[in-house]
Amino acid sequence: MEYEAIIGLETHIQLNTETKIFCSCKADSWNDPPNTNICPVCTGLPGVLPVLNKAAVEKAVLLAHAMHSEIRPVSYFDRKNYFYPDLPKGYQISQYDQSLAHGGYLDVPMRDGEMRRVSIHKLHIEEDAGKTKNEQGRRLIDFNRCGVPLIEMVTGPDIRSAEEAAQYLIRLRQLLRWLGVSEADMEKGHLRCDANVSIRPKGADYLNPKTEIKNVNSIDAVRQAIETEIKRQIRAVEGGGKVEAWTLSWDEDSGTLSKMRSKETEADYRYFREPDLLPIHMDEAWKSEILAAFPELPLERRTRFMAEYGLPAYDADLLTAERSLSDYFEAAVSAYGGDPKRVSNWLLNDVMRMLNESGKTAGELRLTPQFLAEIIKMVDKGTVNTPTGKGLLEKTEETGKSPREIVEAEGLGQVSDSEAIRQICAQILADNPEQVARYRGGKTGLLGWFMGQVMRATRGKADPNTTRRILQELLDTSA
Amino acid sequence: MQEEITPELFEHLVELAALELTPEEGEYLRAQLNKQLQAVHELQAIPLEEGIPPASHGVSYTPESSPPPREDAWKPYPNVEALLSQVPETEEGYIVVPDIPHEALS
Amino acid sequence: MSTPIPFLPAHEIARQVRSGELSARQVTEAVLEHIARVDGIPGQLGGDPQAEPDKVHAFITLTAKRALTQAETVDARIAAGEDPGPLAGVPFTVKDIFTVEGTPSTAASRMLANFIAPYTATPVERLENAGAVMLGKVNLDEYTFGSSSESSAFQPSPRNPWNLDRVPGGSSGGSTAAVAAGEGALSLGTDTAGSIRQPAAFCGVVGVKPTYGRVSRYGLIAFGSSLDVPGPVARNVTDAALMLQVMAGADPHDSTAVTLPVPDYLSGLEKGVRGLRIGLSPDYFRITYPDPQDGSLREEALPEAIRTAVLKAAEALAAQGAEIVEDVPMPHTRYGIPAYFVISRVEAASNLHRFDGVKYGYRTSQPVADLREMYRKSRGEGFGVQPKLRILMGMYVSAAQYSEQYYNRALRIRTLIRRDFERVFDPAGAYRLDALLTPTTPTTAFPMQDVYGDSVLMQYADQLTVPANHAGIPGLSLPGGLDAEGLPLGIQLLGPDFSESTLFRIGRAYEKATAEEAWRATTPKIVHG
Repeated sequence: MEYEAIIGLETHIQLNTETKIFCSCKADSWNDPPNTNICPVCTGLPGVLPVLNKAAVEKAVLLAHAMHSEIRPVSYFDRKNYFYPDLPKGYQISQYDQSLAHGGYLDVPMRDGEMRRVSIHKLHIEEDAGKTKNEQGRRLIDFNRCGVPLIEMVTGPDIRSAEEAAQYLIRLRQLLRWLGVSEADMEKGHLRCDANVSIRPKGADYLNPKTEIKNVNSIDAVRQAIETEIKRQIRAVEGGGKVEAWTLSWDEDSGTLSKMRSKETEADYRYFREPDLLPIHMDEAWKSEILAAFPELPLERRTRFMAEYGLPAYDADLLTAERSLSDYFEAAVSAYGGDPKRVSNWLLNDVMRMLNESGKTAGELRLTPQFLAEIIKMVDKGTVNTPTGKGLLEKTEETGKSPREIVEAEGLGQVSDSEAIRQICAQILADNPEQVARYRGGKTGLLGWFMGQVMRATRGKADPNTTRRILQELLDTSA
Repeated sequence: MQEEITPELFEHLVELAALELTPEEGEYLRAQLNKQLQAVHELQAIPLEEGIPPASHGVSYTPESSPPPREDAWKPYPNVEALLSQVPETEEGYIVVPDIPHEALS
Repeated sequence: MSTPIPFLPAHEIARQVRSGELSARQVTEAVLEHIARVDGIPGQLGGDPQAEPDKVHAFITLTAKRALTQAETVDARIAAGEDPGPLAGVPFTVKDIFTVEGTPSTAASRMLANFIAPYTATPVERLENAGAVMLGKVNLDEYTFGSSSESSAFQPSPRNPWNLDRVPGGSSGGSTAAVAAGEGALSLGTDTAGSIRQPAAFCGVVGVKPTYGRVSRYGLIAFGSSLDVPGPVARNVTDAALMLQVMAGADPHDSTAVTLPVPDYLSGLEKGVRGLRIGLSPDYFRITYPDPQDGSLREEALPEAIRTAVLKAAEALAAQGAEIVEDVPMPHTRYGIPAYFVISRVEAASNLHRFDGVKYGYRTSQPVADLREMYRKSRGEGFGVQPKLRILMGMYVSAAQYSEQYYNRALRIRTLIRRDFERVFDPAGAYRLDALLTPTTPTTAFPMQDVYGDSVLMQYADQLTVPANHAGIPGLSLPGGLDAEGLPLGIQLLGPDFSESTLFRIGRAYEKATAEEAWRATTPKIVHG
């Protein structure tokens, strides 16, 4: 029998605020020793109270808007009660039935060019828990991560393969960075994913029991874990067994799934309104203030780049992979004023290599879009030749000086003034009467030798076409 | 009089609550719970119209009375040592608790 | 004969300290000596409940050294010509449910017996900044769960200074016993269902439950987070007003502490009650409670002495020019306790989740097989029976399949209780009341061990106080005389949100109107002993 997979993803997104959601500890403690970035609030000491970080709400609103979610004018925090050693209060402050936003979708371009619309069921704000690790039969706990602001976003069961799940995460990651709401680095746990997986005979319209895979925390892990689980479920069903609603844990090192204890997952969270926090009143004034700087989104921009600049899909896709690069491109096109495709070529061939090598984003380059445009223009005009132009990219980046200044200071300008070249050529002919005689005697292959002499005399700056034309003229006609 | 909290339900609650009780405690607590629930049942008799909303707080907050959200500015806590000195067991900065076993999946 | 220092009003101590007639150190030493004479051994884990039955036992932790240091600081500021604050040198105690940096903050539970808070609760910090001198932490029901202070894990529990065989009430029983016995002029308590007002009534002192949000809860170890309010315990209305003045106001550490300006509670204190409309409700002159034997609901009128005390107070206020409005209906009063059984337990169960032996407080010393067993044993051994009862009840009524029937229903009934008050306080409504005048408690102080163990009867001691907690409104309990047994009677004033000024003003007028009555000159028994 042929099966299809039904997959929904539950993502946890760490917002890149300066501080935690309910206290003034810093949000990012990636480089800190365990239990150093903590305070009474995020470690759940008795008597302390949460105070909501404004920036967390604002970033959540940006994301909700980008997901086309409806933002509630009044939303509430609730307590989700359960015991776990990484949860110091014994409850997580979350949002339950009246969360910040609801509904929405993300359009995900698939590799075959199709667009898959993945619906969003839930979008809410909550606090992150700490980290635990096993060591020799004991569990070690680090509270540094407690209270980092999270958005939990749950998709509908709209995803049909491990590859589609991976594409969803790739697009989500792109969007989060684009909006500037999360660093979205999966290796650092900024973007984490649990996957709900079930299978059914292809074409069926019912849903089978699903398993939930926890800790799938890289794009590759998402592909592998879901792939592995789909195969396991098919094996189980074909072997006459049943799929039970287990919670599974993905071990990335060994590439295996393990079943979590049922007691850990037996859930009655006894949600109720968090009495220590007031509701979030997202009135129109605050909302428009937040959304005032809302950017054009990557897919929209991709479409526009194709329409407005006549770029091929391939170029438009690469140029909108990251917001800084796409902003850079537009600024360079505008400074350049010529064919956008020419800017795209320079960017994707040469500037991209510089970015990859340096680890910088386009916006961080000292080679500004204006400088790039200047270089391309100089090449277009023949002020410098193409190899010199490419060399200028590095030189501009290194010095931060304008390419024109560099060209002048280093005398890199291409000699295209035909009078100047004519003088040099005439001098070389005058200095080498024997070669002139041999050329005129039929050894026309010596033209290359004359070219070389001119280039040596001009340190490579002479425009080769002009030089060739003048040399031929002088050699062929002044006999 | 029927017992709302049966011994089975009581055991379930005790497990959820992560409590270990002596038999005497268990007996007393279950009896008291059933007594309290009898009192609570008085609530069932009150007619509740459709539009009566739940009140999470008694006093309602207005824009004037509500504190604004916190500005996103880092203030390191100066007394982390005092927090860790309360922890029953630590090791190299980590808080230590007994393990939570997993089952391998074949 | 002049009043001995331990019985001087707080405002009088502050005046004398500020003017240099007394030093803060003198006051502190005098009160510490008095404590040594009347309090006996402090409550301790495994202590004998019957130890020294002739003492008050208000304290868990006496911080005498810290108090003397603080007093010296106040004196030094005065010597340096600085303003020592409005409570300069005033000795006060703190219910041991608040955290105070560097001192044990036990919540009267084995669970927190070894917990040393690294931060100070906002109300305590504000009192100390105003020059008040903290004497120590006083006893209470474990985690505030009770109405007699007997459920403390730290025994002996406090006794009522008026009659040492009686409970002081609770849960702020250590606070009210201390203030009544002259062990500090003020005490900081908390009120979740009546935990300040009920013991204040039992001990013949003034107790204030401010409007929810008026005083920061930062540093208050939570019971019912939507109900808990820190509040003053004092021997007179002026002192209570002075104390609230210092404590009230917004706090960046508490998002439920309101940003409304704090009025000057003292300036209007002597204005009298002329023109104020004060209501009497028949619904506050009877109680409904389940029969301890068969559980059937019984309705009973209040004891005559309590009823008379309230009516006499109404007459006294009327004589001062207040307009008394009778037969004010408060139909949902009787549902306060059943709704409270649900709401407070849900919040309490959640608030007690954090006590799991992982980060602080008690962890079992028995060997355990896994984490879950560590939780069960630590919580089983660390919590007394009252926390366990509240946790289990909270678990039950908020479980997914029951919460609609119990929790959500209770929250909607809370709305009805709130609406009772809104209707009678509505300035455009039929009643237009400035305050309701009611008894504080359905009984006077009961004998020790009499009600303890019956969690239902114990809870019904709060029947007349709990509606204010549901509604969030302020309440003030005042001494209203003594019954035939010589036990204090309490009368209660309830007002609209943030009307503490009005309540103080009425309370002060009542104090003046009754200043010459014989009971005012009577002092608690322990003072003579």
